[in-house]
Amino acid sequence: MDFSGLSPAEQAQVTKIVEKRQFQGFLSMYGKLVEKCFQTCVNDFTSKSLSSKEDQCVNNCAAKFMAHSERVSARFAEMNADVMSGQKNVSG
Amino acid sequence: MASLFGGGASSSSSNALNQERLDMALTEMDTVTDLFNRMVSSCQSKCIARYAEAELSKGESVCIDRCVAKYHAVYAAVGEKLKIRGEGQQQR
Repeated sequence: MDFSGLSPAEQAQVTKIVEKRQFQGFLSMYGKLVEKCFQTCVNDFTSKSLSSKEDQCVNNCAAKFMAHSERVSARFAEMNADVMSGQKNVSG
Repeated sequence: MASLFGGGASSSSSNALNQERLDMALTEMDTVTDLFNRMVSSCQSKCIARYAEAELSKGESVCIDRCVAKYHAVYAAVGEKLKIRGEGQQQR
């Protein structure tokens, strides 16, 4: 995001607000990821602890989500860079 | 939403806090963050079917790349429609 048009005082305040939102964003992502992995991996309620299979699934789920999120982030950044430079690449 | 991805705020250099410009920048950031989060969760639903392994498969990776591109295309197409509708309403 481009905040270069702002004064230093404004940028300092923006940084503070951005940090707060990043934390909120992290918590929200955490909650959603737990829900997603729980729904996907946990289907057996004959025991109150996670089975090793469930535990493995949850670990994979979290790892895979992070890989997914990073990939989307990379493509998203490329896309935005394309839009900014005005050369809209409609390919793929 | 005209300045989205465009970096509209560029002039002015006073050190005073300009709440209006600050709000604009944060609204823009929130909009992009929201778009990104929706994109992550949409493409996760569309492209990731199983969590038996932690790495993204080749197919999933390609799917994610295309998903991001298409999400952007839909974003642009819907924006275009809304713009036309907005212009039509202003003329009445």
